[in-house]
Amino acid sequence: MRVTQSMLANNMLRNLSQSYGQMGKYQEQLSTGKKISKPSEDPVVAMKGINYRSQLTEVQQYKRNIGEVHNWMDNSDSALDKATQAMQRIRELTVQASNGTYEEGQRANIAKEIRQLKDHLASIANTKVNDKYIFNGANTTEAPVDQDTYTVNNSDSTVDIPVSAGVKMQVNVEPDQVFNQQLFDDIEKFADALEGTGSDEDLDQYLDTFDSHIDDIVNTRADLGARMNRVDLIEDRLSTQEVTASQMMSDNEDADIEKVITNLKTQESVHRAALSVGSRIIQPTLMDFLR
Amino acid sequence: MVSTFHGLEVAKRGLFTQQSALYTTGHNIANANTPGYTRQRVNFEQTSPFPAASRNRAEIPGQIGTGVQAGSIERVRTQFLDDQYRGENNRSGYYEAMSNAMSRLEQVMNEPSDNGLAKTMDRFWQSLQDLSVNPEDSGARSVVRQRGKAVAETFNYLANTITTLQKDVKNETDVTTKEINSLASQINSINKQISEVEPHGYVPNDLYDERDRLIDQLSGLANIDVSYEETPSSADPLAMGKATISLVDENGQALTPKATLVDGAQNTVQEVKVNYSTDNPALVSSVSVGSTNYTMDEFSSPGKLRALMDVSGYENSAGETVGVYSNMLHNLDTMATSFVNQFNSVQQSGESLNTLDNNDTPPAFFSLAGSTLKDGVQVGLSASLDITDAIKNDLDNIAASDASALAGNGDNAQALADVKEQNDPLLGEETNLNSFYEALIGGMAVDAQEASRLSNNSQTLRQSVEESRMSVSSVSLDEEMTNMIKYQHAYNAAARNITAVDEMIDRIINQMGRVGR
Repeated sequence: MRVTQSMLANNMLRNLSQSYGQMGKYQEQLSTGKKISKPSEDPVVAMKGINYRSQLTEVQQYKRNIGEVHNWMDNSDSALDKATQAMQRIRELTVQASNGTYEEGQRANIAKEIRQLKDHLASIANTKVNDKYIFNGANTTEAPVDQDTYTVNNSDSTVDIPVSAGVKMQVNVEPDQVFNQQLFDDIEKFADALEGTGSDEDLDQYLDTFDSHIDDIVNTRADLGARMNRVDLIEDRLSTQEVTASQMMSDNEDADIEKVITNLKTQESVHRAALSVGSRIIQPTLMDFLR
Repeated sequence: MVSTFHGLEVAKRGLFTQQSALYTTGHNIANANTPGYTRQRVNFEQTSPFPAASRNRAEIPGQIGTGVQAGSIERVRTQFLDDQYRGENNRSGYYEAMSNAMSRLEQVMNEPSDNGLAKTMDRFWQSLQDLSVNPEDSGARSVVRQRGKAVAETFNYLANTITTLQKDVKNETDVTTKEINSLASQINSINKQISEVEPHGYVPNDLYDERDRLIDQLSGLANIDVSYEETPSSADPLAMGKATISLVDENGQALTPKATLVDGAQNTVQEVKVNYSTDNPALVSSVSVGSTNYTMDEFSSPGKLRALMDVSGYENSAGETVGVYSNMLHNLDTMATSFVNQFNSVQQSGESLNTLDNNDTPPAFFSLAGSTLKDGVQVGLSASLDITDAIKNDLDNIAASDASALAGNGDNAQALADVKEQNDPLLGEETNLNSFYEALIGGMAVDAQEASRLSNNSQTLRQSVEESRMSVSSVSLDEEMTNMIKYQHAYNAAARNITAVDEMIDRIINQMGRVGR
C-alpha cells in the first residue's frame, strides 16, 4: 500500500483526538465519581440508577415517618404513664377513704383531691403534641374531653402512618379504652359518695371499679409497648435497607476510582507515545536528504 | 534515410515532455494539501516510429524511434473507492446527525441525576408522605403545593426545551436543504464548464476533482446515485462527461417517481424543498424535488437531511407523527395525562379541610387547561401543566383525608402518594408512572447508544475507505521529489543529447571535406 505524508498526518491527528477523547472520559469519571454522565453510555446503569434513587428516597422517607411514629407513641406512652399514676393515687385515696375511720370533713377533703385528679386526667386526655390532640383518634383538631362538663366526645378512629411499602402502623391509642365517659363518671360518683351527696353505696366497691380502669390503661400501654417494639424492628430493617439501597446505587453507578486512575495512567503513557511517535514520523522527508 | 535533424527533433521532444512532467510534478506538490485534489500523472507515449507503415519503405534497416510525447495527463483515482466512500459518508451523515440530536435530548432529560423529573416526582411523593403523617399541618400542605408546582414546572421545562430543540432542528433542516441545492447548482455549473472543454479533446482534471469533492459533500446529506452522460465523439477517451445525480433509497434503488437533482443531459437542476404540516409547523409533511411531491414514506433517501426529519418528527401517510423529539413530547404528554388524571381523581375522592363538614367534592389539584384531548392523551399538557387556582389560593383544598372526614386522617394523602405506583392502562400493560418513565429513559438511552455506535462505525469505515482512496490519490512528497529528480535528469540528458547532435552536425557541416587544408 502506498502511504503518503497526508495519510500519516491524518492518522496521527485522528489517533491523538481519540486519545484525548479517552482521557476526557476518564477525567469526567474522576471528577464526577460516576461511571456514566449520559444514559447512552450505559442504558442499563441509567435505568437502574433511576430505580435505585427512587428506592432510596422511599426508604429515607419511611425513616422520616418512623420519627413521627416515635413522636406519637412516646408521647402517648408518657401520657398513659401519668394517667396510671393519677389512677394509682385515686386508688390509694379510695383505700384510705373506705377505711371507715375518716369523718365527713376529711372525706370531703379527699373528694377535693379526687376532683383535682379528675381534672388532671381530663387534661392528660387532652394532651396536645405538635398541635394535635393525640387521644382523639384522627379527629386531632378537637379536644376529646370537655374540661368544664367532663363530657367525653372522642373518636374511635385510628391514626395510621406508613412505615414501609404497603405497611401502615397504628400510632395512636384508642381513647375509648382509656379516657372514656365511664371513667370520669365513676370518679365523679365516687367524689359525690365521699361528700355524702351521692348514693350511699359502700365505698369499697369503687376499689374494683378503679382497678378495672387501671387494668384498661395498663392493657392499652402493653398494646402500645408491643407496637413500639414492632416499630423498633421496622426501623432496624429500614436502616439495613437504606445501607443496601445506597450500596446498590453506588455499585451501579459510582466509578471505581482505582481502576479509573490506572486507566488514566495507561492512557497517558499511550498518549505520550503517540505524541512522540508523531513528532518522529512526520518530520523527516526526502527533502532533508536531497541536495 | 532519416533526416539530418532527426536527432535534434527527438531530443527536443524529450525536453518538452520531461518539462511537462516536471510542471505536473510542481502542480502536484503545490496541491499536496488541497482538499479533494487527485495527484496527476503525465502519460508518456512514444511517438510513431519512422518510417510509418503506409509509406514507401525507406532504405533503412528498420523503424527508428522518433522520441516521446505527453500523451495525456490523467488523475490517479479509482471510481470504485469513490462509490464506497460515498456510501459510508451517507451512513455516517445520517447517524452523526441522529447521534448529535439524541445526545442533546439526553442532556435535556438529565437522568439519572438529582434534578431530573424522576427526582422531582420523588420529592413530590415525599411531601405527600409528610402530609399523610401531618394532615392538619398547613406547613406540610404548603410543601405539597410547592413540590406539585415543581413537578408541573419540570414537565413544562422538558416540553419547552424539546420544542426549542425541534425548532433548532427545523432551522438545521432548512440550512441542509439550502446546502443540497447549492451543491447541486455548483455541480451543474461545473458540468457546463466540462461540457465546453471536453469536445475540444481536453481532459479537465481539475474540474473533475472539484466536482468529485462537491459530490462527496452531497453524499453526506442524502443518498445519491451518480451516472455520467456519454461524451461527444471528439472528446478524449479519458473524458468523464457530465454527471447526472439522482436520489436513491438505502438500498440504492431510485425513488419513485425518479428524483433527479442534477440532470447532466439537460444541464438542469431540481431544487429540494421541505414542506411543513399546516397543523403543527414543527412537523415535516412532505419533501418536494422540483415539482414532484414525495410523502415521507416515499422520500426514503437516508443522509443528514433524512436524519434531521427523523429527529424532529414528521407525519407519515397514516397520519401518525413519527420522530425522536415528537415521540418524546408525546410520551411526556401521555405521562402527564396519566399522572394528572389519576392524581385528580384520588384528590377528588378524598376530603379536604374545606369539605370535611359538607359533602362537597374537593377541587382538582392539577389543571388540564391549555391541552386538547386526542386518543386519550391530553396533547400539549406537559407544556401547559400547572396546579389549579383553587390549590394556589387555598392550601386547605388539598384532600389529605379520606371519607371519614377527620382532620387528622391522612389516608388520602397516602393514596395520593401511591399514585406513582398505580398501574394505568394508558401507559401500557402493568405499567405505572415510575416504570413508564424508566422505560422512557431506558429506551432513549438505548437509541442514543445505537446511534452513537453506528455513527462511530460508519465513521471508522469511511475513514478506512478514505485511507484507501488517499493511498491511491493523495500526493506523496517523497514520490514527487523522486519524480522531480528523475525528470530533471532526463531533461538534462535530453539537453546533453542536443549538444551531442549539434557537435555531430557541426562535424559534418563545418569540418568535413577539408582534407589537406
